[in-house]
Amino acid sequence: MYAFEFHRPKSVSEAAALLAKSKGKLIAGGQSLVGAMKLRLASPENLVDLGGVAELRGIKREGNAIVIGAGTRHAEVAASKDVQSSIPALAALAGGIGDRQVRNMGTIGGSLANNDPAADYPAAVLGLGATIRTNKRTIAADDFFKGMYETALAPDELITAVSFPAPKKAAYIKFRNPASRFALVGVFVSQDASGVRVAVTGAGSAGVFRATALEQALAKNFSPDAVKGIKVDTAKLNTDLHATAEYRAHLITVLAGRAVAKASS
Amino acid sequence: MNPFKHKGAGQRIPLVDGIEKVTGRARYTADLFAPDAYVGRIFRSPYAHGDILRLDVSEARALPGVIAIITGEACDQPYGVLPIAQNEFPLARGKVRYIGEPVAAVAAIDDATAREALKRIRLEVRELPAYFEPEAARAAGAVLLHDNRAGNLEREVHHEFGDVAAGFAAADLVREETYRCAEVVHAQMEPHAAMAAYDAERDHLTMHSVTQVPYYVHLTLARCLGMDAARIRVIKPFVGGGFGARVEVLNFEMVCGLLARAARGTVRMTLSREENFLTHRGRPQSHTRVKIGMRRDGVITACAMEMTQRGGAYGGYGIVTILYSGALLSGIYAIPAVKYDGYRVYTNTPPCGAMRGHGTVNARHAFESLLDTMAKELGLDPIEVRRRNLLRAPTETINGLKVMSYGLPQCLDAVEGASGWRDRIGRLPKGRGLGIGCSHFVSGSAKPIHFTGEPHATIILKLDFDAAITILTGAADIGQGSSTILTQAVIEVLGVDYARIRVIANDSAITPKDNGSYSSRVTFMVGNAAVQAAENLKKILVEAAARRLQAAPESINCMGEIYCVHGDSNRSASFNDVVAEALKGTGTITAKGTFTCPVEFQGGKHKGGAVGSTMGFSYTATVAEVSVDEELGTVKVEKVWSAMDCGRAINPLSVEGQVQGSVWMGMGQSLSEETRYEDGRHIDASLLEYHVPTIVESPDVEVHIVESIDPNGPFGAKEASEGALASMPAAVVAAVENAIGVRFTELPLTPERVLKVLADRKRREARRRRAEPAYEEGAA
Repeated sequence: MYAFEFHRPKSVSEAAALLAKSKGKLIAGGQSLVGAMKLRLASPENLVDLGGVAELRGIKREGNAIVIGAGTRHAEVAASKDVQSSIPALAALAGGIGDRQVRNMGTIGGSLANNDPAADYPAAVLGLGATIRTNKRTIAADDFFKGMYETALAPDELITAVSFPAPKKAAYIKFRNPASRFALVGVFVSQDASGVRVAVTGAGSAGVFRATALEQALAKNFSPDAVKGIKVDTAKLNTDLHATAEYRAHLITVLAGRAVAKASS
Repeated sequence: MNPFKHKGAGQRIPLVDGIEKVTGRARYTADLFAPDAYVGRIFRSPYAHGDILRLDVSEARALPGVIAIITGEACDQPYGVLPIAQNEFPLARGKVRYIGEPVAAVAAIDDATAREALKRIRLEVRELPAYFEPEAARAAGAVLLHDNRAGNLEREVHHEFGDVAAGFAAADLVREETYRCAEVVHAQMEPHAAMAAYDAERDHLTMHSVTQVPYYVHLTLARCLGMDAARIRVIKPFVGGGFGARVEVLNFEMVCGLLARAARGTVRMTLSREENFLTHRGRPQSHTRVKIGMRRDGVITACAMEMTQRGGAYGGYGIVTILYSGALLSGIYAIPAVKYDGYRVYTNTPPCGAMRGHGTVNARHAFESLLDTMAKELGLDPIEVRRRNLLRAPTETINGLKVMSYGLPQCLDAVEGASGWRDRIGRLPKGRGLGIGCSHFVSGSAKPIHFTGEPHATIILKLDFDAAITILTGAADIGQGSSTILTQAVIEVLGVDYARIRVIANDSAITPKDNGSYSSRVTFMVGNAAVQAAENLKKILVEAAARRLQAAPESINCMGEIYCVHGDSNRSASFNDVVAEALKGTGTITAKGTFTCPVEFQGGKHKGGAVGSTMGFSYTATVAEVSVDEELGTVKVEKVWSAMDCGRAINPLSVEGQVQGSVWMGMGQSLSEETRYEDGRHIDASLLEYHVPTIVESPDVEVHIVESIDPNGPFGAKEASEGALASMPAAVVAAVENAIGVRFTELPLTPERVLKVLADRKRREARRRRAEPAYEEGAA
């Protein structure tokens, strides 16, 4: 490690002020940032640690929605009775992130702000049409993800919570890279009164996205058969050492069908 | 009556060095305490092929903290494991031949300085056409990697035994197919490391390395450093896996020695995982065309194989590998006629080498696959077709290999029964299947690489005032358990308690020379030497007991910890008393045992005939059960039953572990492991890209031990560490065919490859349906 200033604010407002003043980086669970710092892919001179900000923690119900504080750990989301009963697909997704250590340290806010193109949470947020709450405003999921590792967050803005509306049906399925266990492709499918959402992570060259062709098919007929044979456009999909765009496109359709089956079971 | 019989051989004991490993106390090369050691780093070629025009290290040398820099000028002695194919230098001279080839090396006070120095080295080359596939390297007009090898052929082999034409003519069915296997590597747990300490005052060099072959390291250091071998000491600490990765001397070992001398001090080198992939010496990519002739009843009448291996840029074990692939077409089934054409090709990729199941795996995969395909065509059960072609031991094969013990029939019986084959084959739901593969492997190459006239193995036992026995051996325990097997062998003969025995291994200043841990030679050869040494020691002890008990030596019963007069149990002496008597007038006792493979076992008289020759073949039959997800293209091995004839299991626990490891490695090669190059650049040089199976993909492997009791092995033992591997790829591919009706001819079966073949089949079927609208497809 190299030298950097480490700040420990106690409140969201204090954190925001420190962030604005220091032009540093926020650190929550550190599951992505610390690794990046070790590899010198990131070398912030100031770190603002959100670990001491109690108001960011916790899960609560607000009407039909589940609101998860940005500092809530993946393991807490996975174990939450409220999440398990209202949005079991979200609890299962959280329980399948990384490994035990990652789940006990990593936070939902950190994952979303980082917007790793193969992360799981972005698929849930986009797939459920969630709302991101920050210290300045609320941002709809459809407006939040702006590309690989890019979000709508301003430099001095921090996520405080995420509000997930409980869907009628939802499921998440991912095909893991056999070595890293990251999603080679992950598909989150949900259905509620406002329609069907299919969000895809791991595959897009600009990060998480909605598979509109699949959504349209499922809006007409929410069944696994509805997506059979639908070819996902490969133009905006990744080809890398782990899989071609063609294989990723194939997986999106197959996994979407399986997610629908799982959501309906 | 022998009260201590099988106190050693046959015991399921944990490895004698296991406690150190599981408690973390074991010190591996990178752990050795050497606070004053400099850090050695290698500058590697970024070019796949080129003439070196200029190599400027002056800027690097000027960096404070840099102690020494060496280039190809440091050593003009080519080396290579085979005395007939030495064409590699520790650091490139004149030419670079693959991306990652060592060109220069730095010793510095710390790692940061060494890395910084590497950035300041300037290499200029005149780039040459580079060849990454055998076809390109062999094409007319291709630039030669090595001037003396026309067509970039390191070796071509043309062997024919028996009347092949007549064999095919006598067949009812002749089929031919090409099988492709990707290059795979050992991916051993412990990365490469070496530490060399140069004593400038005495001109002595001490080398610690991760090697499987300390003796070859010793010889090659002497050669490349131009030093008298007497001034060199080689020590092998704990080693975390070999599988052939360290079965020849590797460039970094020589570089480390050269750097230490240049720095006049101690240099430690630890290679990154990426550098391990570049120094891999793995199993070469191969294209195998195989043709088999078969009678209607399944009896094989002839076999012809053409094998092309992409060898990489230097010789290494290449000649042996290409010979092995042909030689071990024999020795498992009775085949009256075999033709083999092998081509080992130089390419601008890192050199391949020996990997577990050396040379046999891809050839066996091709043969077993075609055998299955033909059995299916003839309506024969895959196990039955193998039974129709069994050998009868003892016998000699058409290429001069002796088969003295043969447990393959029992292996087939064992896996057929255990897997429920008869009840389940053809009755499993779609997407689930069973398949079988068989294999064999040598228990040590009967003819050593260096013809020195010395025995093939030597063991020394030291017995002293403490009544402890120290086994001194040069056999390299690389995790396979050789020190444990030698301990059990000595105990089986002497009957003493385990606590009396210690093993000191692999210090050239202390232990006898050993050729090394390769070709599964240690249990058979060094084990036999250990038996002889123990018998020699026992004779001394029996004579001492006779003196002490005032009886004739013939009347002494050795009961292990007690010696007594036969028929008179009151007249007895403890082991300690017998030792005290034995030491009188002579002091410390050393007993030696040696072993040499008799010349009649050293293979046929034809050129290359020594390769494949051995005193005992292991045999394996493996049944794999897989499930296939046709939508995702994924294959999962659900369960494996593997039966191995290892002659006699000196340590059944260890045998089971070795078979499981072999089968598992074969599964990796079948399903996920492959190295890929992009314009000669290794693009899978990390464990995130090179997919070794994880625990998630690891099935239960049920091992059945078949003991054929070999007439020449120690207590009847043969090898157990390699042979099972080659049975696995064919078993997996057969199981996949059984599951979904498609036979794959290319390894590994990655999801994308599986989907591509399935899509091709779909297209073909659609075309056929269009052509014959009335055609009704039968059951697969």
